[in-house]
Amino acid sequence: MAVHRGRGIAAIEYPTGMNQGGDPSQAWIKIKPDGHVDVFSGTVDLGQGSKTVHTQIAADMIGVPHEWVTMNNADTDSSPVSFGTFASRGTFIDGNAIAVAAYRARQRLLELASRMLEVDPEDLEIAEGEVSVRGAPARKVGVAEVAATASWTYGEMIVGSGAWMFPHVEPDKVTGECEPNAAISYAACVAEVEVDDETGEVVVTRLIQVYDVGRAINPVLVDGQIQGGAIMGLGLALLEESYPYYPDIAHRGPEFGAYAAPAMADLPELKNVVLEDPDPVGPFGAKAIGEMANNGQSPAVIAAIHDAVGVWVTELPAKPERVLRAIDEHREPRREGRRVIFDEHLSIATVSPPERRPEGGWSFPLVDVQL
Amino acid sequence: MKAVGASLPRYDGVAHVTAASRFVDDFSLPGMLWAKALRSPVASARILRLDTARSATMPGVHAVITHSDVPNNVVGHQEVWGIAPDEPLLAEHEVRYVGQLIAVVAAETEAQALAAVQAIEVEFEERPAFFDMRKAWDSDQPHVTPDGNVYFYYPDQPQRQIRKGDVAAAFAEADVIVEGVYRPGAVEQAPAEPASALSVAEPDGRVTIHSTSQALYYSMDITARHLRMPIGQLKFVGGTVGGGFGGKIDTLTEPVTAVLALKARRPVKWRWTREEEMLCSSTRAAWHVEIADAVTRDGWILGRRTLTLHDAGAYMRTSAYACSKHTFHLAGAYSIPACAFNTFVVMTNHVPTAAMRGFGVTSASFAVETHMTRVAEVLGMDPWELRLKNANRVGDTSPSRVVYGNPSTVTTLLVAAETAGVNLPPEQRAMTNAMREGALLPAHLVEQQRKPETHLLAWRDGRPALEGGS
Repeated sequence: MAVHRGRGIAAIEYPTGMNQGGDPSQAWIKIKPDGHVDVFSGTVDLGQGSKTVHTQIAADMIGVPHEWVTMNNADTDSSPVSFGTFASRGTFIDGNAIAVAAYRARQRLLELASRMLEVDPEDLEIAEGEVSVRGAPARKVGVAEVAATASWTYGEMIVGSGAWMFPHVEPDKVTGECEPNAAISYAACVAEVEVDDETGEVVVTRLIQVYDVGRAINPVLVDGQIQGGAIMGLGLALLEESYPYYPDIAHRGPEFGAYAAPAMADLPELKNVVLEDPDPVGPFGAKAIGEMANNGQSPAVIAAIHDAVGVWVTELPAKPERVLRAIDEHREPRREGRRVIFDEHLSIATVSPPERRPEGGWSFPLVDVQL
Repeated sequence: MKAVGASLPRYDGVAHVTAASRFVDDFSLPGMLWAKALRSPVASARILRLDTARSATMPGVHAVITHSDVPNNVVGHQEVWGIAPDEPLLAEHEVRYVGQLIAVVAAETEAQALAAVQAIEVEFEERPAFFDMRKAWDSDQPHVTPDGNVYFYYPDQPQRQIRKGDVAAAFAEADVIVEGVYRPGAVEQAPAEPASALSVAEPDGRVTIHSTSQALYYSMDITARHLRMPIGQLKFVGGTVGGGFGGKIDTLTEPVTAVLALKARRPVKWRWTREEEMLCSSTRAAWHVEIADAVTRDGWILGRRTLTLHDAGAYMRTSAYACSKHTFHLAGAYSIPACAFNTFVVMTNHVPTAAMRGFGVTSASFAVETHMTRVAEVLGMDPWELRLKNANRVGDTSPSRVVYGNPSTVTTLLVAAETAGVNLPPEQRAMTNAMREGALLPAHLVEQQRKPETHLLAWRDGRPALEGGS
């Protein structure tokens, strides 16, 4: 009867954008006669704040204050294609489409400002909502004035459109060879736990999480993804299961009261570190954080449980009964020559031995995958 | 002030926390009807009889739909990638999971719709169900689909696979072979906002659909396939979603309400109850991953073999995609010169499984990282050292032969150690992500090393690469 402490680690990687690509995003931007900017893309904000990130990209790419940029809700009549808000693609792929659209709106602004200032567009720059002559900052005109002049004097419109896509690839059937992603993000996670060997309860006391996201367009929203991901990752590791007696379908939880999802009280002390090694392709060097934020916790927690009480729980979640059973059974791996075989009781070779399969019926390539 | 890099507040944050944000269920229209569904109570059965005649005459009922009302009932969530359609929007002659949609009623109130659902007459002939994916090939197990329980990526090859390097040689050469089994379970996406949709048949023949989809154009494509309409006839409205986590890629409420709205000529809203969201919507798949690593006594991974089974549930949804993605990530954050990975999509009578945060890779990361810690234990080696040594570096190649251009596994690990107060030896602390050389470039990693090239460009000197110029 004691509480044991342990520490475990994990290093993970996660792709940005859909596997095998072929997932386009498009955007268009218009500038109103007062210089304010409207961004349109068929992307969806799930609550993570992706549209705030998109308006930050548009504001800096054009050179106007962020408060001038609006990104309204999408409808498919006014907004162009975004393949979807999934596959950790919002900041990178939607973001690149928006950045290209913003770049082109900016070029249009510069053309019109050039007409007003009688200076070559190449010699103009935009910052803080003002267009000025490079090297002669006193010669300037406000973006609002350019936009008003465009509308009411020149009879012109300021728009920009853009698209970005990582081209679709097909993997080789045999080797799997292909380049499936535009970018990969990396992370490391350290979990510290306390395991009660009487109740089987595991308490995560501290998580150290380090993410390289290329560039944090909005650091507080990146931190939000990391905190939310930590909660979900701990749910996977210790609490949540759609089928408590999987694969049996009995006793599913039909409501939150009957489904053990972690709450804020389950969140341990977090130490989050964000590294910024800029990506050559992403907008302003950014790459994804979204999905990977719940991938590192479960292996780190399982390693920490092993460090604490010397047993492996390799079926998730590591709920108290599994931890207790592992402590009671204390399975050792089978050793056969050079082979060290863990979890033999769980393997397909034990549950479905070859003699159960129809003779000659399946060309199931177990020969090739013999473990 | 630059916006990029600033911790600006979310544009919708205040509205969210003051309950001012408008989600799909906050929209109502005059004459709007409410939908309720009849769902399968059993995991596997033939439908012997389905009679909606009495239900259609119940008070307040304007439309009852079954599969014969759907212009194109069987559609797939991956048709856009050439994967054959397999899932009926409304069950036809059979049901394959508890909660499967059979018929849907639109009535003036939710209570009337529910009463009419209860008046639908249906008779099942239950069949044995199949649940344990490890038994997919057993001769005594029932088949979930007419084609068996295993999906075939190619007519003669069921699995998605990776073959890289000389795997047999790696296993012959190894000092130790470490084997293990990893089984992450199914979990709920559990968004705060359940799936909802509001469809309006417009006077001009178009259909407007207010949707909780995570992917308006993707869901519009699936809906258009069901309705046999060009996407131009549809207008999806969305953008404010109360959490998705992958579950709101599945597109069911949109086509169902569209069919009802077209039949009833009234706006129709369907909001799933919490119970429907928990029990009938897709889950994250349960996975079964077996790994065997060929390793040297001093901690080099020479080769890896894997066998993965993915519990797709009763219909494909996005499982083939998930298993491909999974397969590409089975080396984890490491450089393994010889790989033989095999991933199978197994159909079962569970609720269809689909996308959830970390799709396909969460299971790979769990299996690979737990296995790495075990390898370290078997070798009597520090788990930090094993990872740092094998970590992918610039110029190393991934299982699918991508040359890593800027991996940061070494950096993230070293910063994590420092932050956690772990004192690594100086030679480990001096490691970087740069190309391998010297003691960190053993013979078995020489051949896989390449000079990284950036051939993919989005930006050149601050201009979109497409614009050309310098």
